[in-house]
Amino acid sequence: MSLRELDLKQEPSCSSGSLSNYLAKDHPDETKWADCVHCGMCLESCPTYEITGQEQHSPRGRVHLIKSVAEGRLNVNEFFADPVFACLDCRACTTACPADVDVGGLIEEARGQVRQAMPLTGWQGAVSNMFLKGIFPKQNRLNTLGSMLKFYQKSGVQSVVRKTKLINIMPKHLVEMEAIMPEIKEPVRKRYKNEKVIKAKGESKREVALLTGCIMDVMFSDINEATINVLTRNGNDVVIPQNQTCCGALHVHAGDRDTGRMLAKQNMDAFRDAEKVVVNAAGCGCMMKEYAELFHDDPEMREEAEKFAEKVEDISKHLHDTGYEKPKAELKTRITYHDACHLAHGQNIRQEPRNILLDIPGVEMVHMPNSDRCCGSAGIYNITNPEMAGAVLESKMENVPDDVEMISMGNPGCMLQMAMGVEKYGRSQKIVHTVQLLDWAYQKEDGKGEN
Amino acid sequence: MVTAELLADLKAIFPELKMAGEESVTIFPKKEEEIAKVMAYCNDSKTTVSVVGGGTKQGWGTPAKTQIQLSLEDYTGIVEHTPGDMTVTVKAGTTFKELQGFLAQHSQKLALDPSWPAYATVGGVIASNDSGPKRLGYGIARDSVIGLRTVYPDGRIIRSGGRVVKNVAGYDMNKLFIGSMGTLGIISEVTFKLRPLPKCESLALLSFPEGNLEEVRRFAIKLLDSMMEPVALELLNPFMAGNMADRNCYTLAISFEDVETSVRYQEQYIKANQPARTSLDILTDEEAKAFWNKLYTAAPCGLDSLEEGTGSNKETAAAMKIGIVNLKVLDVIRECQLLSDGGQVAAEAHGGLGTGICQVVLRGSDDQVAAGIMHLRKFAVQEGGYAVVKHLPEVLGGKVDAWGDKPSYFPLMEGIKAKMDPNRILNPNAFIGGI
Amino acid sequence: MAFLKEIKTNDQHIHKLAGIVGSARSILYKKEDLLAYDCDGFTIHKHLPRAVVFPKNTEEVAAVVKYCHENDLPFLARGAGTGLSGGAIPLNNEIIISMVKMKRLLRVDLENRRAVVEPGFVNLKLTNSISERGYYYAPDPSSQYCCTIGGNVAENAGGAHCLKYGVTTNHILGLEVVLPNGEIIEIGKDGVADEPGYDLLGLLTGSEGTLGIVTKITVRILKNPEGKQTVLAYFDNVADGSQAVSDIISSGIVPAALEMMDKTAIEGVEAAAFPVGHPKDIEAVLLIEVDGITAGIDEQIEQILTVCRSRNVREVKVARDEAERGRWWANRKTGFGAMGAISPDYLVQDGVIPRSKLPEVLARINQISEESGLRIANIFHAGDGNLHPLVLFDARVPGETEKALEAGSLCLKVCADVGGTITGEHGVGIEKREEMRFVFTEEEIAAQTDVREVFNPKNLLNAGKLFPSPGRCVEIKKEMKASAAL
Repeated sequence: MSLRELDLKQEPSCSSGSLSNYLAKDHPDETKWADCVHCGMCLESCPTYEITGQEQHSPRGRVHLIKSVAEGRLNVNEFFADPVFACLDCRACTTACPADVDVGGLIEEARGQVRQAMPLTGWQGAVSNMFLKGIFPKQNRLNTLGSMLKFYQKSGVQSVVRKTKLINIMPKHLVEMEAIMPEIKEPVRKRYKNEKVIKAKGESKREVALLTGCIMDVMFSDINEATINVLTRNGNDVVIPQNQTCCGALHVHAGDRDTGRMLAKQNMDAFRDAEKVVVNAAGCGCMMKEYAELFHDDPEMREEAEKFAEKVEDISKHLHDTGYEKPKAELKTRITYHDACHLAHGQNIRQEPRNILLDIPGVEMVHMPNSDRCCGSAGIYNITNPEMAGAVLESKMENVPDDVEMISMGNPGCMLQMAMGVEKYGRSQKIVHTVQLLDWAYQKEDGKGEN
Repeated sequence: MVTAELLADLKAIFPELKMAGEESVTIFPKKEEEIAKVMAYCNDSKTTVSVVGGGTKQGWGTPAKTQIQLSLEDYTGIVEHTPGDMTVTVKAGTTFKELQGFLAQHSQKLALDPSWPAYATVGGVIASNDSGPKRLGYGIARDSVIGLRTVYPDGRIIRSGGRVVKNVAGYDMNKLFIGSMGTLGIISEVTFKLRPLPKCESLALLSFPEGNLEEVRRFAIKLLDSMMEPVALELLNPFMAGNMADRNCYTLAISFEDVETSVRYQEQYIKANQPARTSLDILTDEEAKAFWNKLYTAAPCGLDSLEEGTGSNKETAAAMKIGIVNLKVLDVIRECQLLSDGGQVAAEAHGGLGTGICQVVLRGSDDQVAAGIMHLRKFAVQEGGYAVVKHLPEVLGGKVDAWGDKPSYFPLMEGIKAKMDPNRILNPNAFIGGI
Repeated sequence: MAFLKEIKTNDQHIHKLAGIVGSARSILYKKEDLLAYDCDGFTIHKHLPRAVVFPKNTEEVAAVVKYCHENDLPFLARGAGTGLSGGAIPLNNEIIISMVKMKRLLRVDLENRRAVVEPGFVNLKLTNSISERGYYYAPDPSSQYCCTIGGNVAENAGGAHCLKYGVTTNHILGLEVVLPNGEIIEIGKDGVADEPGYDLLGLLTGSEGTLGIVTKITVRILKNPEGKQTVLAYFDNVADGSQAVSDIISSGIVPAALEMMDKTAIEGVEAAAFPVGHPKDIEAVLLIEVDGITAGIDEQIEQILTVCRSRNVREVKVARDEAERGRWWANRKTGFGAMGAISPDYLVQDGVIPRSKLPEVLARINQISEESGLRIANIFHAGDGNLHPLVLFDARVPGETEKALEAGSLCLKVCADVGGTITGEHGVGIEKREEMRFVFTEEEIAAQTDVREVFNPKNLLNAGKLFPSPGRCVEIKKEMKASAAL
């Protein structure tokens, strides 16, 4: 029942004229909350509600608060910012909502308001600025960071640091992060810098462009390699546009919508000639499909973004839709599958990756209860809200079956977080990306794989 | 006030009412307003009053000797029945059998199976919350009653619930009156939701001659864990099984009611899963009905004319209801058999393995019966249950507490009683804790 | 931030209450946080609580209640806040005692068919925890995915399958309750049936949180039925459809569920998230489910088909598999939300009528619709006569909200007039306080408030709910309408 509220009188607005206390541009979209009837069907889907049991940390509570600011009942202040920024942006509520309320979109818009009204200061601001503006969008700096990390690992400094317990002086959650840092390899963007097209191995059926991603290419370039292998094996010519950039998801999640818009424009430009943009990171894919959300006030860009969205596809969906060769080699392993939020809830892709895994001979899939529950990674959430992220992760790990060797998923953020979970809770599972498993099966079939 | 005076007084005030009296005055109202008037009179004059229907429950609990008895003998009949709604409204003095007979013409029934159905009235069954073995399948009074009209002690006529099968408007006041032993108000009309008459009925009697209760338990658990839908799963102790069905061993009475294919299928299940060294008889329709009817009239009740062994040989008989966690019924039934075997008191007992309710009849000398009641109550309480006396012969009045200990929340019950019957005119001291 | 470390307020009660519940994290008192608690699933009224506390066990609940009792602070309990009648709205600036931290499944005893849960335990989770062994918990309100069993007890929740299996009250065996003075009592210990004394279990269930706060619940659990069949039947006129409902019931079948939707409702569900391809020109659709012993089901289905045909059914079909059955149910169960697809706003009512009055009542609701100029969709549990008229309106149009409220109230009046009632499963709460007068006299209402006084003499617990304010009904209605006009 979304009747207009009757008791507005009791909370007088302090602003003149319009009731709304959203003072900055690009304010949350009224039509998004109009459908919320406050039924509560979202509550159980929300990890932060599960942890806190408090409704301001639930989807309908957040929607209610966001709406209340527009109605002049609340101001944009730190207490409003708290629940708005504690959201993991996992979108599970969108799946649960019978009325399709776009809670995620509202949260991002509200974060934009918070960041405009009260910019981050102090070390938080500095760190945030460094990562979001200074590093992620800048390929060369990312590469430099990658090289540094590689040096850190290769040079033995890492083992020295680990052995001498030097890491104990790091904040706890950063220690946990450090422990699971993947081995850094050369980014594919660098490696294929001079190849205009990476040709399909057999007959070429189509050409696709690959988003290499910012962190993905630095920390998980082997997944990008695997993606390229899988694509080329299945008749896809692959191009890697060199002027592509970070998708902007992290910026938008953090309320920096201006930078988000800038990156969106750059990517739309970079992929202008592509007919299909294949993405192997769920978070990036989801963001790119939703670029239009960033251009409320710019109908032209909005239309362009909507068209662009149609070209973007997750690797698993792309393989499912265009067909792929079923591997013949056996992998003999028990695995379980974790639904990345931005794949399952964000893009409604659930069955496709599972089918790919089940098509690999010898792969036995064990069901993970609540497999589409957020792991707590949520972009850089695990850095900004470590306590909540830790609690969410703990709840996630309780659902990981004991007797599996690997946990497969389709998002690098989740992979880092789940690896941390495995480490922290003394588990043994290996964390893999869905395409990696497929690639290994192909490799083994070709007599190259070690698995 | 002495009875003669009271009678004269009443006759002067209510010339239209039929009344009689020796030890106390009995009034026979025909209309609800008449009940209300009498109640208001009693309330104003602080005259104690109790209600009686068929009289089968005159020994239930600790019946009060009140100055006035309201007999609902003349307050009978179906008020409203719409077959398509599957509900019926009936006056409280109507006997249970009469109501069922009426409903059967429409292939419907009230899904309760109380004792002494030919004599017990609807009002009495509800006020005492009496139930039988088929409660496993159909529930009890609180599950069938959807509306009541109750005459309060001050003469107000208060409706609770309604005439529809689903209703959450206001407090569920029906529940207060069901089982309140006439201490809160006089139920004048009851509206029930109904069930269709089953198209087919059968009864499996599974006897365990070796007396191994562990085996009974295993079988019961297996049956309950299956997808079969027995409407009764009653364990009879050997003493009762002997009296009821000529077999002196622990016997399970398993009842099925449904369309015929389903009933036969379930019988088949019992046959296929019949434990070794047991005997099985399947009773169909009429035989099954006869069995149940015998069971419903097995216990002594408040109507002297129905008590067996009248005259000088009359032994004392009491009936108990014991509630316990479902499967502990096995222990209660065993305990009853031990009492019988030990010759302390003759105990006929049966209990529902899916309901946790046991019915026990004790016969013997006054002292034996009193001791038996105490023993079983102690046992039940130890096992986390309770035991109440459904029928206490007059000779034991004052010697045995019919209700057992008061619960911790007794003050709330006292509070409710004080609100509704501040002058304590209704059936005083008849219920638990002397309410 | 989400995890607070210290309390900053001058309100000494907040500090005291925080002391009782053990930490700053277990209490909310800042306006920004409290705002999320200013209403439940009923959003017409909004009021801020004074604080929200999150006790972890019965003792903490009792201590909080005792504190409120001693200091004359109004308080109320809240579960998931999914109620549709406003039962958890803090009308009097209450201290809200949130039960959601008490969400453990304490014990499952399959052999004795019972489970013990804390009040914050979510309804569906109980069935999920025992389904592997073939058991389930029967009451299935459509909010079962998130509503708590404590809330179900307070509201005596129903659901689509209560036609055969009954509502919450038929499945509660025992309760631990904190009384409004802080005292803890236990009724139905170990779930033993028919405890001697007045049936307080039955009285407390459905008392909408005005008599006590439930802290532990023993419920009955059931074995899954062996078989299940679902039928969909389309009718060209509503009268035939409702006659078929009556015929099915009086033919001696007890369906597990018997649901009906009218043309406007069909338009809604077909336009929303789970369409199943109902014909657009159909006037009524019936969804009928029979369960039980497989051997007996076919016979009953055959009988249902015969009844439908004799009532001029256009098309009738049996679900081929679980997937199809699931689609039909999803289509029906999301019916309320689906109205969003054809109307900006809607108001749901919850009247109950004797089944035989169905054609008459539907005609009168239709008349109300015509007179008000508002469309009314009907989705209902036809088997037990529980109607959910959905008044469709647009709050942005001046005057429509009051018209909708008026039309909703008139629908309830019709239900009451034909011998029905104003609420079958949603509860009275704030929403239908005044409509209580449609079904109860002043004296009958007083008989109920007398009972409340025994439990809740200071009336600090959830005051202002369930009962109309004495003698003020007319003014309050006017107020509601006036403020609706704003």
